[in-house]
Amino acid sequence: MIPLENFLILSSILFCIGFYGVLSRKNAILILISVELMLAAVGINFVAFSSFYDTERYSGHIFALFVVAIAAAEVGLALGIIIRLFRERKTINIDEANELKW
Amino acid sequence: MLSKVPLPQQFDRLIVTGGIVTSVFVILILTILLILKFVGFISYTEVFFWLISSGMIIGALASVFLKNIVHAVFSLLAPLLGIVAIYLFLGSEFLALAQLLIYGGGVVILLLFALMMTDVQDNPVVIDGSQKPVGFIIAVLIGFVLLYSIFTADIEIATPSSLSLADLGSNIFTQFLIPFLLLGILLDIALTGALLNGKKHKNLQSSDSDE
Amino acid sequence: MMNNYFLILPEISLLLTGMLILFLDAFSKELGVGRKIFPMLAIIGSLLSALLSFLLIGNNETLFDIYKVDDLTAYFRILLSLILCFLVIGSHEYNDKKITHIGEYYFLLLTATVGGIVMVAGVELITMYVGLELLSFSLYVASSSLINDKQSGEASLKYVLIGGVGSAILLFGLSMIYGSAQSTFYNDIAINFLNGDFFNLEFLLVGLIFLIAGLGFKLSAVPFHMWAPDVYQGAPTPVTAFLSTSSKAAVIGLLFRLLGGPLLGVIEYWQPLIILLSVLTMIIGNLIAIQQKNIKRMLAYSSVGQIGYLLMAFVGLSSYTLSAALFHLSGYLATNLLIFIAIIIFYTKNKENSLINDFKGLANNQPFLALIISAGLFSLAGMPLLAGFFTKFILFQAIVQNGFLWIVVIAVTMSTISLYYYLQIIKQMYLFEDNDNNCVSKWNLTPSQYIASSLLFLLVIFIGIYGTPFYSFAEQSIMVLF
Repeated sequence: MIPLENFLILSSILFCIGFYGVLSRKNAILILISVELMLAAVGINFVAFSSFYDTERYSGHIFALFVVAIAAAEVGLALGIIIRLFRERKTINIDEANELKW
Repeated sequence: MLSKVPLPQQFDRLIVTGGIVTSVFVILILTILLILKFVGFISYTEVFFWLISSGMIIGALASVFLKNIVHAVFSLLAPLLGIVAIYLFLGSEFLALAQLLIYGGGVVILLLFALMMTDVQDNPVVIDGSQKPVGFIIAVLIGFVLLYSIFTADIEIATPSSLSLADLGSNIFTQFLIPFLLLGILLDIALTGALLNGKKHKNLQSSDSDE
Repeated sequence: MMNNYFLILPEISLLLTGMLILFLDAFSKELGVGRKIFPMLAIIGSLLSALLSFLLIGNNETLFDIYKVDDLTAYFRILLSLILCFLVIGSHEYNDKKITHIGEYYFLLLTATVGGIVMVAGVELITMYVGLELLSFSLYVASSSLINDKQSGEASLKYVLIGGVGSAILLFGLSMIYGSAQSTFYNDIAINFLNGDFFNLEFLLVGLIFLIAGLGFKLSAVPFHMWAPDVYQGAPTPVTAFLSTSSKAAVIGLLFRLLGGPLLGVIEYWQPLIILLSVLTMIIGNLIAIQQKNIKRMLAYSSVGQIGYLLMAFVGLSSYTLSAALFHLSGYLATNLLIFIAIIIFYTKNKENSLINDFKGLANNQPFLALIISAGLFSLAGMPLLAGFFTKFILFQAIVQNGFLWIVVIAVTMSTISLYYYLQIIKQMYLFEDNDNNCVSKWNLTPSQYIASSLLFLLVIFIGIYGTPFYSFAEQSIMVLF
């Protein structure tokens, strides 16, 4: 049987990789990918805690399901805005989008 | 050598190189794990867990470090599909299925669509920001804090229990009814936003330019 | 278990109005409705919601164990609905002129208000999170609603990406707290933390750090504030007003619920984090605001600074400081909304450069607007006879009584510094002549603009002179937490 720690370590590593991606990337789509990695890590955490500890109500499973739905909606929304930005100025690098001082 | 493989121009290098790299990694890790198994350190469940989690981490690292944006998006498939297996380990079949459908089927395809609509064909190579070292240091620090807290925490020994689909459904539709309904509105908002921004507004552009 | 669904009528009325607006917008040609009907519907919906929530004061019930309708909820319901109502009354001419997809725009404002209410009313982490995302998503889309403006799209993209990162960090914190307390229900979390039998301290600490960082992103508190000025500048001005009033108020309400409820048992672990956040936010927000040339950016930094004062209330947490903070919050919201509505009225007639220079000579051209803008700015800086002074005075007094004198000294210093950059605008309005003629010389305000601005102006003065009824309502609302 796999202990809880293993799942938590996996999710921590994924979260940090995603956070590094957010900090280092400039391309908006790649930042979005990194955010998805972070949310995936969160999902593992919730489900792991839920099935190990919260065996009466399983709130963690439901939370993970909500996170999946919201993350997918966020990707759709962000990609719509990215496409608009690309149409306006032919780049999706966030530091080249400099109408506003970043 | 790869140029002689009869595949469509766009995808040959991607698929073949990706496949070779993935299989080399998988075979390497699998060999190590199987040796450990036969020596007697770990069980078959653990072999699968380690295989899948190392695949996820390699895929995540690739999607964060790779220069080519298409490769990065494809590498995202490894962690997103690995989670399906992790959810199965934790006894949640429905969540695994939802993850498979939404991420494997939806999100990655959506990301690829967005890539097609932007300038990826002309220059797929992206340049990362200059704040890379700082980001690396911050991420490593956070990682240390998280891992330290996990290793020092005295975690109760418990066994994972699987959740039946009926329980999940009845929970969502009774106790969590309010957030569930609000989630529908949230999806509506996301749809509105995607339409509002993604749609071309040609006629408006001309009429408002004289303002 | 019977649930009394009448208790969520205010939210239902807001949502139904939003749906009706979306429906009428989609079939506007077939039904023959004009653009004028949408703001009207939004005003009716928000007024109805405020009225219903006023009638529901005094209830103390929890629906499904996850949605609490008590006086704190009622307070925020009334606050958020009235903000929406005033905002729509004051800005519908502006919206009509600049925003093409007007139906969607009002729908988004209504859903954002619902999200804010749900954040405060939810007593369970999932509900709270869905409310937070409802608010955030509505504002992501609303800030992109100037279709032909490049700045708007860019602001929205920055907001979505940084908001997504903030949500992910917040969620990681929530998952760790869930792992530590082993429940997502505030009641169970509070019991588990108070008993202290089997919660996991390491997970709790990590969870609190991430939770406060994530909420800091949503509040634009200082290490996490970098999105705020850009988004404030690029978004349409009414959305900027909404961002600096309703969205802040909702997150503060969430903090009331969360820090005053389930996390009260572990106050010694999160207090240092909040002190750090509060002090940094006050100092850096006010100092950067000094060098801004753009009025929206300046107000962004000023509202960052104001958040610092509000966060102070959680430093010495007692029913006294919290009711003072709630009172200060309402005074701050009225003042900030007044300034923003005046600016929106100004830019309805004039070309929108958003520079402080735009306001040159406003006192000659439009004395009423100049008066209310200066009243609002003086109130933000904390001048006597206006809302800002009285509410801030009570807040600072409450915090001093809890033994945090040094933090109040910093706050008073920063409050004085903030007077400097508020005076910059007043100087432009009163001391300079409009030589470049970039300002339309004389024009008349429309009746709705008069109504919104003068009512808020009266409210700001009323709170400043006789704020006792508001304070006692705030006190009554906070009592449900203790």
